[in-house]
Amino acid sequence: MPYLVSFHLGWLIGSVLLGFCMGWISVVQRGNGTSKVTARWLAALAAALVAVSFARVVPGRFGYWLDLGLILFACYLVGCTIGAWLRDRVVSRSMPAA
Amino acid sequence: MQKLFRWASKWWPGLIPLAVMWGFAAWNNTLPVEADLSARSTAALKGTVLDKTRIAVDGRDVRLAADAFSEEGRRDAVTAVETVPGVRLVDDRTRLVPEAKPFVWNAERDVVRVTLSGSAPLPSMKGRLTEAARKEVGGAEVADQMSLARGAPPRFEAAAMLLLDQIGKLKDGKITITDTQVNLSGMARELGGREAIAAALKNLPEGFSVAANDVKAPPYIFQAYKDPVAATVALTGYVPDNNVHAAIATSASRKFFTEKVVDNLKASIGAPGSFNTAVVAALGALSRLSTGTLVVSDREVKLSGDALYEGAANDIRAGLGKDFPKNWQYKPEITVKPAAGPVDGTVCQQLFTDLLAKGKIRFVAKRADIDPDSAAILDHLIETALRCPNTNIEIAGHTDADGEEGFNRALSEKRAQAVIDYLVKAGLPASRFTAIGHGSTQPVAGNDTDDGKAKNRRIEFLVR
Repeated sequence: MPYLVSFHLGWLIGSVLLGFCMGWISVVQRGNGTSKVTARWLAALAAALVAVSFARVVPGRFGYWLDLGLILFACYLVGCTIGAWLRDRVVSRSMPAA
Repeated sequence: MQKLFRWASKWWPGLIPLAVMWGFAAWNNTLPVEADLSARSTAALKGTVLDKTRIAVDGRDVRLAADAFSEEGRRDAVTAVETVPGVRLVDDRTRLVPEAKPFVWNAERDVVRVTLSGSAPLPSMKGRLTEAARKEVGGAEVADQMSLARGAPPRFEAAAMLLLDQIGKLKDGKITITDTQVNLSGMARELGGREAIAAALKNLPEGFSVAANDVKAPPYIFQAYKDPVAATVALTGYVPDNNVHAAIATSASRKFFTEKVVDNLKASIGAPGSFNTAVVAALGALSRLSTGTLVVSDREVKLSGDALYEGAANDIRAGLGKDFPKNWQYKPEITVKPAAGPVDGTVCQQLFTDLLAKGKIRFVAKRADIDPDSAAILDHLIETALRCPNTNIEIAGHTDADGEEGFNRALSEKRAQAVIDYLVKAGLPASRFTAIGHGSTQPVAGNDTDDGKAKNRRIEFLVR
């Protein structure tokens, strides 16, 4: 893991920034987003992929790509969370003023 | 938390650019990651002892194929690669090198090359053995055909190094270690080499033993070349020790009465038995030739050259006398020198005088037996006598003044008669010769010194 992080640092920062933007937008975006059922399925899929990665059953380059994808995804989620939380704080602070 | 789920339901559109990024990242980094992990794995294996190591990286998975020399070494190598940061899986294709039974190692030498073959226990040892062989044989080529195998006996390297030290002493041959047994065969480079090898083998490491040592010594050569133009006899080759050297040199100077002895002999061990006797007898035969070469090689005596007359040629061909050792071989190739033209009595007399001035006919002390060392001068005297067949010759014997005059006179006459007998035996008619004994009545030098006495003891040839 530390090796993957240090080797792909630029890409990971990129995915954090992407997530940050997405999170920033998601707080004020109108619309319904994904349904609960779909979200569950997506979460289950993500969990399955993580399990597969930890079990190291995917061989060679595909295994490496899977790990890379998951770590990018994780950074994206972290970026989204930070972005959404900050935007939420900004929004909630400006609300009473408005 | 509710909020978080609400926000998260709207995060999915970002997955599309994320997927694009993922694709680019994979596209850009796969080969660098593989190269990096390959380099790190190779570096991690630096401290391990392996042969035929091959590392192939697929993604973050490393396939390690190598020959290891022990189970522990094999495990260590796999662990070393497994602990490289970034490596996900190690496909262990390592194996132990085969065990050689029996463990055989060879060092073979021919004139220009040393070939090392068989098994060596470790790559580093293989290198050290090759290097040692190279150092030992100097300019000769060293071919390394050793393969690696387990199962070497303890202290194998020390034994192999000691044997490689011996390869320089061989002209050609083979040294083999089979488990702990050592076999040697071939020919030593120099006299004494065989003995030096045998001595060195006593220092073989504990556990090793010599099964067979068939190293042969090179032939023991002694050569003599009689050159009538330069009036020299050149002695080359080997003699067993300084005493034999002195004996041969003294004998040569007595036998070759007109030639200067050029002594280039070297002392060396390894002479065959009865060397001294055989060489002295062969030098006697060589001294009777006008020109000739003597080659003594181990127990074989080859003599070639020109005898002074037919009788001498037959005599020389017939053998080297009763003292010549039985188990030696004698190979004469004797021709006869073309006879010189006839001369008259005056010239003959001059030739006799010249010959007897250069050398003298020697006898056993106080007796009338001709010393065999006088064969050369007698042959020359006979050759001269053959050139003036119509002359009669008086053979006069003289003694020094020691002893009673009656005894001396009788001895001198007997000695003169002995010379006549020798000439007649060689084919000259007895009627041409008369023997006369003067005792000590006609001295040519004072009888008060040993030198003077030696000059007085003489045989004279007088043409009548």
